[in-house]
Parts: sequence; structure tokens; C-alpha cells
Amino acid sequence: MGIVHFVRGAAAVALAAMAAVPALAQDVRIGYAISRSGPGAPGAQTSQEPNYIMWAEQVNAAGGLNVGGKKRKIELIGYDDRTDAETMLRTYEKLMTSDKVDLILPPWGTGLNFALMPLAQRHGYPMLSPTATGRKLLSLKNPYFFPLLQQPDVMMEALATFLKARGTKTAAVVHVDELFGLEQAAALEKAFKEKGIQIIEKKSYPFGVKDLQPVLRDIKAKEPGAFIALSYPPDTFLITAQSKALAFNPSAFYAAVGTAFPIYRDKMGAATVEGVMGLGTWNPKSGPAAKAYFDAHVARWKKEPDRWASAHCWAGLQILQQAVEKVGLDRKKIRDYIASTEFDTVIGKIRFKNGENVSTPGVVSQWQNGEFEVVWPPERATASSQFPKPGWN
Amino acid sequence: MSLWFELIASGLITGGIYAVVAIGLNLQYGLMRILNISHGEFLMLGAYLTWLAHTVLQVNPLAFLPVVALVMFVAGVLVYRLCFYRIVSTAPAVEVIEARSLLVGFGLLYLVQNLAYLAWGADLRGYSFLVETLEIGGARFNLNRVVVFGFAMAASLALLAVLRFTLIGKAVRAMMQSPTGAQLVGIDTKVLHPVVFGAGLALAGVAGALLSTVFEISPAMGEPYTVTALIVIVLGGLGSALGSLLGGFLLGLVETFGMHFTSPSLKMVLSYGVLIAVLLARPKGLFTR
Amino acid sequence: MNSRHALLALLAGGLALAALPWLLSDFLLALALSCVMYAGLAVSWSMFCGPTNYLSLATAAFFGLGTYVTAWGAGALPYGLSVLAGGLVAAGFAALIGAAVLHLRGAYFAVITFGMGELVRHGITYYEKAFEGTVGRIIAEAPESTTVYWMVLLVSMGAVAAAVLVRDHRLGLALRGIGSDEERAQTLGVNARRSKIAAFALSAFFAGALGAAMAVRWTYIDPLTVFNPFIGFQTVLIAMVGGAQTILGPIASAVVFGLLTEFLRLQFPYLFLVILGFLLILLVLYLPGGIASLFERWRWRRGNV
Repeated sequence: MGIVHFVRGAAAVALAAMAAVPALAQDVRIGYAISRSGPGAPGAQTSQEPNYIMWAEQVNAAGGLNVGGKKRKIELIGYDDRTDAETMLRTYEKLMTSDKVDLILPPWGTGLNFALMPLAQRHGYPMLSPTATGRKLLSLKNPYFFPLLQQPDVMMEALATFLKARGTKTAAVVHVDELFGLEQAAALEKAFKEKGIQIIEKKSYPFGVKDLQPVLRDIKAKEPGAFIALSYPPDTFLITAQSKALAFNPSAFYAAVGTAFPIYRDKMGAATVEGVMGLGTWNPKSGPAAKAYFDAHVARWKKEPDRWASAHCWAGLQILQQAVEKVGLDRKKIRDYIASTEFDTVIGKIRFKNGENVSTPGVVSQWQNGEFEVVWPPERATASSQFPKPGWN
Repeated sequence: MSLWFELIASGLITGGIYAVVAIGLNLQYGLMRILNISHGEFLMLGAYLTWLAHTVLQVNPLAFLPVVALVMFVAGVLVYRLCFYRIVSTAPAVEVIEARSLLVGFGLLYLVQNLAYLAWGADLRGYSFLVETLEIGGARFNLNRVVVFGFAMAASLALLAVLRFTLIGKAVRAMMQSPTGAQLVGIDTKVLHPVVFGAGLALAGVAGALLSTVFEISPAMGEPYTVTALIVIVLGGLGSALGSLLGGFLLGLVETFGMHFTSPSLKMVLSYGVLIAVLLARPKGLFTR
Repeated sequence: MNSRHALLALLAGGLALAALPWLLSDFLLALALSCVMYAGLAVSWSMFCGPTNYLSLATAAFFGLGTYVTAWGAGALPYGLSVLAGGLVAAGFAALIGAAVLHLRGAYFAVITFGMGELVRHGITYYEKAFEGTVGRIIAEAPESTTVYWMVLLVSMGAVAAAVLVRDHRLGLALRGIGSDEERAQTLGVNARRSKIAAFALSAFFAGALGAAMAVRWTYIDPLTVFNPFIGFQTVLIAMVGGAQTILGPIASAVVFGLLTEFLRLQFPYLFLVILGFLLILLVLYLPGGIASLFERWRWRRGNV
């Protein structure tokens, strides 16, 4: 009998603990689930959760969030979703329906954001998502979903324009077999076709590959003018190291996700990555707001923010804050305000049209002397481009 | 000509790394039937130790290898004593050891991996080491990959030599062939088991230390290596160290040639296809009698 | 307890559980859903692996196949039919690979079943990319979460009922014979090959059906999410911790595991997996027979009083 008692008692304790923890009424309660373990953890902990925490700390240090003229502190409630869709959904169900938090912050990555969208709409929570991109997300026409990153076609259009202006005629493309790689590749093909850049080789590879030398060797033999890798962080590192080994040095060398990470420069060596281009939006030279954000991040976390999604994440938090300070905590009003207003953020003006961030243009960035300089478009550039790419060092 | 040379060399380099990870796991399984699913987590620990030593104390990662080996060996003896001794000594049958050690392995996986998350965070880490290019016979390679291959081979061959020529090696092999027979002639499992388990972890740690010179590291980096190691030891035959070495090479070559002649996207399909084909033809692996 | 009593108990339990949507909040219902799903998976796994002592790591493959059947049929097939089809596809696949690899044992079988799962995942990725030009699929029209819960409950109850029937009939006897000594079982007239394939396919049916039933919750289906090895490992873990030789053990284990993990996750958001790993090791070392052995001990003690 003892065991039955024990089990029953334990279950009661567990259920009690899982019930809502009542907070001080004046706090603004903001909840989220994020990948602290599982495959999403490196990305989430580089570009996303540090910003959530730092934002709440900064707002609280300034007295709190201004809701209807009254300063209220933020209480941040964050759980690990283990990069598992079911765990993530269950956590938000708890946050939205049991804890009844005032606002939510989104989870990491395209897949988990997809899964959360219907729930967010049903309970009317706006999602300002910093790490989800793809037209497929927008095709759901979810009124509560606002992705902050540039769409693939916008990014690839910018790249094509940049290369065309520098006389590029041929290109070779590799991409990772994930939604991200496929959407980017499709967008790239379309953009290159319009600009008359011929794709002379296109290969794909699975996520988690540990050797791409045979592929790069074949591509090198075809001597493309530009090399575009629509890659994820591990493969971005791999492709860089192995291209260098093969002395494969096309005029333009571009790799997608991960080039904007400071660890990319530190792991490969600043001299090695000199002239490598990639997905980025900003750097500390982009403006005073960007510089302030950069310095605060370094001071708080002893590490630099990445030069792409981190600032988009910060911009999302700024938008949320501006919306709350304008219309209060009525989430429907917050949604309407976000959908109809142009905001000033760390990455410049942002305005949403049918859920798409139509203000942030496609950007091409390039490593120069240890900084990921913005080299395209001209109105955002922080340095002029090095073209053709210098030899590997 | 140089194409073939480069493909073969690429394949062997990849395969050599697979082999050194697999041999340690195979020793543990062959001797004690411990299916240590957390093998990759100890590889990860080796990688983090080396990264710390290099970035904090500026120690050369290669000079640090003996330290990693020693630390992981001691860790291995402790882990054996705390987690596996009870299972191996109380289980009524080998299937039970396999099953329970698998569960304990899961526990260790959660424990070690998440301690690493707590200690170092989830961010990718890494340092730049020997990024020069090496040219051999017209083919070009990253120097650090070649060095890793050299050390992995040295560690594997040294272990094979120990198994073949030393007394303790003979004891281990005798124990694998006939546990009761070996005990009858006076081989003491109380010493042998922890030592071999520790050696397995030391090899994992060394592999991790070597890999940290080439790849970026993260707390979850070990999992794919555990999976690959399992495939390699099944390919080569459970309990056969030489089989693991050859199995590793085979897998590396299949991947490299497959990538060149078909599509890189088919890489995993090919690896698993080979595994399944081998097991259908030889249910005990390629290199067992 | 004979089959009829067990099935009656199951029916009563199922009816009680079916009332949960009216009693629980959305969050607790989601937690119940997760427990019921893992109970179904663990029971279906034990159905084959318990008596035969095989260690199958193919659960993730069956589950993933099921989700893809739902994704492929989205819009065309009604929900109930996709669940059925998901189960059938998984069972067909299991029969096929079972015929090829069930002669292997021990770690060889474990690794090859895991390999089969990966092969399916990469095969589907390749097929979708080459012929459909995409890797992910959207399921835009999803049934209510209560409907999903009832469906998952129904499939899980089916798994338990099947496990009871297998245990008490010829097939169960044959499987237990194979588990203790396959050659002897064969000389005693058991068709080992046919029995193993049948049980393996039956166990896969429920894993596939559960995958098909759960798919609608996730809106977006891609190979990396649905062939998550985590789901397969968790199932094996739950079944073995519960005691795979029994039926009640895996069910109890799924509930304990589900509640305990969630409790730890919410109370110790950074430390919970460390604690879980530690508890798991302690449990295996000091309760090697699994949760089922607690029932045994209790029953034994009561019998003695």
C-alpha cells in the first residue's frame, strides 16, 4: 500500500507544482519556450534567448515597461522545449491557457514557429519571430505571425544584383537538404536567371555531413565565377576549411547561415575568412543604435552578437515594447498596431505588409579585417566590397 | 590518377576518425557486453577539455593528448565502478547486461551532455589550429585533418599491438573468447573490466581532442559519432578491434566514393545501404570468423 | 487475470480517460495526450520486444512513416482513415524489413533497425526533394485537440488490447518460446519466422497509427522533426524502465515518466535533464526489474499477509 500512497502523493505534488504560479499583479508576465538542449540549442542560444534575457533586464533596470503611463516590471518565464515540437506546444498551452501570461516570445527555428502559429492565433498572441524564414510560413496568412528576417527571394535578389554589377557570369551552388536550403536555392535560381548569371553546377548534401572535399573538387574544376553555399553552421565551417585546402578561390565565395557568427571568424581564423561573403544584416558600424546594442551584448554576455538574426531578435523586442507602450496589454490592439505601424529599430525602419517585413532590404555582407562588413546595398554599406575575393591565407 | 588518390585519401581520413571512435566502444562491448550509448558524450568531454586547455592555457592540443587520455581513463574507471560494475556482476544473462547497460548509457548521456550545457552553454566553440594546406602527390588536404588521421591511426594501431602482444592484451582476448575459461586460468575480471572500460573512454577522449582541432564543438557533438561508431562495429564485427578499424575505413571510402559518383544527398542512404547489405550477407559482421 | 478481465479493465480505464477533456485544462490535457501516446508506443514496443528479448530501435521509423502518411493524404483522406492508413503502411514496412533482418540478434538487430529508420528518413527526404521539390509539408486543416486526444487514446487502447490478446494466445506463447530458446521452440513446432514477422508488424501498426494521429498537431511536417530519434529512444526507455515483459509496467512507466519529466522541466528549467539522467541510472541500478517488479513485490507481499 505504501507505494500506492507514495505515487498518489507524488502525483499530487507534481500537479500542484505545474499549476500556475501566481505572480505579483503589477508585473508584466512574458513567457516562452526555447531550445536549451537538442539540435536547435546552438542557434537559439547564439541568436535568441540571450536577447530575451538582456531585454527584460534592460527594461527592468529602467524602471519597467510603460503600460498606460505606469511602469511595470517584466517577469520573464522561460522553459526548455528540447527542440521537440510536442514539448514546445505543451509549454505554450500552459503559458497561454493556464498561466495566462500577458505576452509570449517565439520559439527557435522555422519548424517550431510553424507548429506554434495556429495556437498563437487561437489565443490571440502576436509572434514576432526572429529565426523563422520562408514563404511557406507566410502562405498560412496567419494574422498574428510577424517574421523579422528577410525572405529568401529578397536575400538572393540582392546577391544576384551585387554579383551582376561586378560582371559575374557563372556560378556554382551547393545547398543543404532542408527547407531553408531548398527555398534559398529556388530563389537563387530565379534571381540568377533574371540577371543572366548561369548556374553551371548545383549539388545538394544532407545536414550533418563531415566531408565535402570530393564535391568541392568537382566544382573547382568547372571554374565558376561565384560559389554560393546555402548552408547551415556546421557545413559553412566545413566548406570554408575544405575550399581553402583545395585552393578553390572563386571571385565570390558566399556561404549562408553561420558566416555571421563571431565563432566563424574565431574558429577559421580572421585571415582565413577575409573576403568570405554571407547572410548578414548589420554590424556595430551600422549606426549608433547598433553600436549601443553591440556593446551592451558584449558587456552582458562576454560574447559578440551574431551579425544577422541577433539584431533582428532585438528589433522584434523593440517593436513589442513600442507597441505595448502605445496601446497597452490588449493583445488584439498590439497585433493591429504592429501590423499597421512603421517602427524604428536597431536594424532600421521595419514595417509589415501582409505579415512580411518589407522594410529590411536584402543585404550582402563580407568579412574584412575581422568585421562582417555590409557591402550591399550601398545605402546600408559599412565598407566597400573586396571583389574579387583575395586568395586564402 | 590524382583524382583517385585524393578520393581514397579523403575516404581513409574520414574512416580513420570513425575507427578510433569505434574501437573504444567495441572493446567495452566485446569484453563486458556493455553497450555504452553515452560513448560520444565522453568524446565531447575530451573535445571540451582540449578546447579549454588551448584557449585558456595556450597548450598545444597535440601535447595535451596524454593528459586527456589519462583524465578520461580515470573517469572511465570511476564510471565503471559507479554505474556498470553492479550490472555486470549481478545480471543473470548477457542480454540483460546489454539492455540494462543501454539504459544506464541513456542516463549518462543525459547527465553528461546537460552538465556540459550548464558548464559551457550551447554555443558553438572552437579554435583555429594547423589551418595550413598540405599537398601530397598533387592532392591537397587541410593539415589538421591529416594530423588527426595520423594520431588516430597511431592510437588504434598501438591498441591493436597491446591486444596482440602484451599479457593484458592476451587476457582481454582470452576473456572475449571464453569468459569462464579465462577465469579458470586465473584472469581477474575485477582488474580487467575497469581497465578496459577506462581504455575505451580514453580512446573516446583522444578522438574528441583530435576532432576539436578540425571541427567546431558543442555539447551535443557526440551523438552522431556514437551512431557512426555503432554502425562501424557492427560492420566490422562485435568484439573485433581489427574489424572496427577496417569497418571504419570501409565506411569512409563508401561515403567518399558514393559522394563523388552519385550525389552527396545520397550519402546516408549509401552508408546504411552498405550496412544492411553486409549484415544480410554476413550476420556477424565482415571480419569475424 | 485472464484476457476477458483484462479487456474489461481496459475498457473501464479507457472510458474514464475519455472523459478527461471535460475535466482538465488545455495544458493538462496536452500532458495527458503525451502520456497516453507514450503508453501506446511503449506497449506496442513491448508486445514484440518483451517476450522475444529483441532490442528494436525502429519505433521512430514507424512513427515517422505514419506522420508522413497523414501529411501525404492531407486534404484527401479523412482523419480516421489516415490514422488507419498510417498504421497499415508502417505494418507493411515492418513486415518487409522483418523478413530481411529478424534473423539477427542483440546489438546487430538494434543497430540495423536504427539504420532502417535512418534509411527511411533519408529516403523520404530524397524522394520529396527530387520529385516534389520540397522537404516539408504543411497540414493546414487540423482537427480539434480533443479529437486528437480521443484518437490517440483509441489507438493506444487498441495497442493494449492487442498486447493482452497476443500474450494470452498462441502467438504470445510462441514469442516467449523464441525469447528463451529459439531452436528449441522451433523443434517444438513453432514457426519462428512467421511468428516474429507477424508480431513485429503488429507492433509497428500501432506506432505508425500513433504517428499518423499526432501529425496533425504540428502543422509542419519535415523529416528532421518527425523521424526524431528522441521519440524512439524515449519509447524504449519507458518500456524497459517499466518492465517490457509485462503490459502494466510500460503503461505505469509512461505515466510516471511523463509526469516526472514535465514536473522537473517546469521546476528546474536548466537542471532537469541532469536530474533525469541521474534518476535513470539509480533506477536501473537499484530497481533492475523495472516498475513492474514493484507490482510483483506488492502482490507477493499481499498474498503472504
